[in-house]
Amino acid sequence: MFDKLRDWERHRHDYAKDWKDRTGGKVVGYFCTYAPEEIMYAAGVLPVRILGSHEPQDVTEPHIFGMYCPFCRDCLAQGLKGRYDYLDGIMISQSCLHVRQAYTSWEKHIPVDFHYYLPMPAKVQTPRALPYLTGELAEFRKAIEEWTGRTISDKDLDKAIAVYNENRRLMRDIYDFRKNDKPPLTGQEAMEMVISSQMTDKAEHNEELKKILAGLPKRNSGREPGVRLMILGSEDDDIEFVNMVEKCGATFVVDDHCTGSRYFWNGVEPLENRLEAIARRYIDRVPCPSKDWEDRTRVQHIVDLAKAWNVSGAIVIQQKFCDPHELDIPAIRKALQGNGVKTLFLEFDVTVPLGQFKVRVEAFLEMLVEEDLFD
Amino acid sequence: MITAGIDMGSKTVKVVIIRDGEIIGKAKTLAGFEAGGAAEQAFAQALDEAGIAIDDVEAIVATGAGRKNAPYSTRDITEVGGDARGVIRLFPSARTVLDVGAEEGRAIRCTEDGKVLDFALNEKCAAGAGAFTESMSRALEVPVEELGPMSLKSTKSIPMNAQCAVFAESEVVTLVHLKTPKPDIARAVHDAIASRIVSLARKVGYEPDVVLIGGVAHNPGFVDSLERALECKVIIPENPEFIGAYGAALAAAEA
Amino acid sequence: MATKQLYQTRPLECWGKAKAIREQYYRDYATAHERGGLRWAGGAWTFGAIPAGLGDDVWSITSEPYAASIAANKDFSMRCLEATERAGYARDLCSYMRNYWGSVILDEYLWGGEFPKPDFIWQDHICCSHAKWYQVVSDLEGGIPSFCIDVSVGPYETVNERKIDYLVGQMHDGIEWLEKVTGRKYDDEKLIQAVYNECRATAVWADVCTLNKAIPAPLEEKTMYSLYVLGTLMKHSKQVADFYEELRDEVRDRVADRIGAIPNEQCRLMSDTQPPWGFLSLFRYLEKYGAVSVGSLYTFGLIGVWEVKPDGTWGPRTTPQELGIEITDRDQALRILADWNLSKPEWQHFYSPHLKTDMMVRIAREWSLNGVMLHYNRGCEGLSLGIAENRLGLIEAGFPVMTFEGNMGDEREFDLTKTMARVDAFMETLGFKKEG
Repeated sequence: MFDKLRDWERHRHDYAKDWKDRTGGKVVGYFCTYAPEEIMYAAGVLPVRILGSHEPQDVTEPHIFGMYCPFCRDCLAQGLKGRYDYLDGIMISQSCLHVRQAYTSWEKHIPVDFHYYLPMPAKVQTPRALPYLTGELAEFRKAIEEWTGRTISDKDLDKAIAVYNENRRLMRDIYDFRKNDKPPLTGQEAMEMVISSQMTDKAEHNEELKKILAGLPKRNSGREPGVRLMILGSEDDDIEFVNMVEKCGATFVVDDHCTGSRYFWNGVEPLENRLEAIARRYIDRVPCPSKDWEDRTRVQHIVDLAKAWNVSGAIVIQQKFCDPHELDIPAIRKALQGNGVKTLFLEFDVTVPLGQFKVRVEAFLEMLVEEDLFD
Repeated sequence: MITAGIDMGSKTVKVVIIRDGEIIGKAKTLAGFEAGGAAEQAFAQALDEAGIAIDDVEAIVATGAGRKNAPYSTRDITEVGGDARGVIRLFPSARTVLDVGAEEGRAIRCTEDGKVLDFALNEKCAAGAGAFTESMSRALEVPVEELGPMSLKSTKSIPMNAQCAVFAESEVVTLVHLKTPKPDIARAVHDAIASRIVSLARKVGYEPDVVLIGGVAHNPGFVDSLERALECKVIIPENPEFIGAYGAALAAAEA
Repeated sequence: MATKQLYQTRPLECWGKAKAIREQYYRDYATAHERGGLRWAGGAWTFGAIPAGLGDDVWSITSEPYAASIAANKDFSMRCLEATERAGYARDLCSYMRNYWGSVILDEYLWGGEFPKPDFIWQDHICCSHAKWYQVVSDLEGGIPSFCIDVSVGPYETVNERKIDYLVGQMHDGIEWLEKVTGRKYDDEKLIQAVYNECRATAVWADVCTLNKAIPAPLEEKTMYSLYVLGTLMKHSKQVADFYEELRDEVRDRVADRIGAIPNEQCRLMSDTQPPWGFLSLFRYLEKYGAVSVGSLYTFGLIGVWEVKPDGTWGPRTTPQELGIEITDRDQALRILADWNLSKPEWQHFYSPHLKTDMMVRIAREWSLNGVMLHYNRGCEGLSLGIAENRLGLIEAGFPVMTFEGNMGDEREFDLTKTMARVDAFMETLGFKKEG
């Protein structure tokens, strides 16, 4: 049922090249999920997220100091190794410091036709952010128009917003099925679903999602769900890890990270000024930890998710060296534990020692099962 | 003119005695806790091999991490300077030197005159030195000198983290438990170290000819991994771990 | 072998005054309540001119300099770092934060007594940690009212009305918030004076740095740290602005008299990012080679505000006062404050390392440098941002670069011996021999 999405996720470059051949359109790689994709899509551009390949590499040392997260270096390595040669442009909507370096090094050393740095506000909690971002989006729209040679009308934006909103709604509907006592999909399938959304034309992705949604009510996953877990973190797309955990007698039923629910949780609400509506969506979305201040709004959201999806335990993934997430972790763990959700903390690199992690995960699951027995 | 160089490495002390640029005596001992004494011992051995007395040596220069504690020397030079001199003398076509010792890995770019243009050293997060192969050979229960030939038997490449020696060691333990064939693990270990060294090489911008020196150059498994990662062949001198001391001896003849 | 004496040296006369101002600053913060005043905490980059409008009895503690002072005190620093780790915070977080939090957790103020809790937090945000640093401080102290202004609107070359509006809008909101939290009526006149002072202090500091273009350099970086720090404490105060003018005049005299910071200057370098605060002896080691660090973008451009002069060289930015601008109301004061700060050199690289490379190459050329020493500082992801690209850019521009990894505030991550060995290798490549 999820084979197509898995295929897209695994062969993301083939998909993009094929899309270019089919449509003659341009592809822009973006580095962070605050990218205002709707604007690019409205111009007939395909926005794809640049992610790493989880392989050790030796090419980024001259460009990025090793104390920045392995994820951002992995992203740059893909560019330096020519895996994204088909990109016509790159853009970044400013978020954390680390991944910015992947963008700025890429811009200098890897030839692209178009590049754009969008200074997305960090203080999403101020009412001043909305007019500011709306204005920045207008500049961005102009830049895309100049580059593509086509105007982006309100009608174009409405069409793009509709496709994106549908994609988000469909994925939320599918996530709702994960509330079932026997979720008809695994955490791995959910992750592949979200990542493949970041790699493909959402109109095509929507077609697959609709098929999946139709089939889910009858789907027998053929496996015992085991312990209900949540996975949360900074950037995390380690499918191998998710697979390993779910083989240990558990299922990830919900998540909070940017290759998961944080990507699609809220949609664009209609406003007369379409750019303002888009700006509103990105300001109001579940925040990346780097934008979650002065209040820590993400913590309550995580607790709410854990409760609504009836989670027993949470695995907290820490991308090595990720400061923003590290700053939140003590507060997140305290809140979860205070709400009866035990947590396991694991530090990730682009490759992980699965064997060692398995030992910890098994012990964690054992502890959670015993807890349930004594409740 | 007869001069000598003493390389006070963190694990071993090397002494080289030269006459008009040619090596006439050399010796190596474990540094241990008393590196100064070990150096004297090695020096005596080298003199013996050269068939001369210490008074016949006109100048002595020290290098290496412990160079401030070297006996006999009148001055010292850095390892970077020593390596460059030694390599260029033997291979005038050399433009990049990769030196992988017990505790440190270095990449040096030099001119045809042996002048150092740029250099890069291993930093904190790195599994890029010989000590790592030693701890890995213990984990695999194989004598360290067998690790290299064993890895050449591997036909499979397994990615292993090369940023953090602690992470990498964890991954080796995982592979052992998964009953991964030892040659494949050995190769992964060498690939990981080579990846770190190549990162350093890229930092200084390597160009041929690339010369590999230092004790780890004796490891054919590492050499294989390195050449694959660099995508070019490396030149390895006879007695690669003595090149630092050789360079110091050459420096002694310069003054 | 004695050190060559190429130039005359002379101790800095105003040195003692700088020390006194700094010590008084930390005493004032601690005793604020005793005198019926207010005290607040925030980063060194915060818009300190704004809380000045609450009264003359308002004192502050800025986080980074306080943390740097802790770092220079190795024993206390280690206790702070360990306390922070025990509380569950990761070791690779900003080392300033970890020292600061440790001081709060241990409830020990570096200058004696308990850690004085601030009445409110007034911060600005440019690196990922900035605002979140104080989330943790607030957690540790049981909740402190906090306001943080987002300044990340892009490099100054792109500044426009909308970006200024974004900052100024937050500032207006902030002033309303300050009135609510403190119960005090805001005094716009005090704000205006603070803005004038800030422009003056930061421009004059840049002027001081410009004087280091002279050969021999009248100041060396280790000394400059103790002088520039005053700007990180209260750049908006008349006292600091006046002091910098006094300093500038003295340095002008030193240039006129050809006084050198070191007697044997033959190799001019610059550094970058914060130094390893517990190991400033590294700068003394450089002197054995006749090498002197004449500054860095960090020392010049974190407090200093600059512009390109008509002759194409870098110099202090012309202040509003010098331009004959009279500030008459709150909004105007805030707009000037926002614009002035957005032009700060040390804020530009957050958007692109290539902007920083341009500035560093400029410094290397105009300050006649032989080479550059880059501190790959694990303790600060903000200032180390893009440093690898800076290295490539400087090399491309023809300047030899040496790198060393370390940590400004965690001595466990800095190896002085190994770093000195690197300096030896670097000096060898530059052709300078050790003396003395």
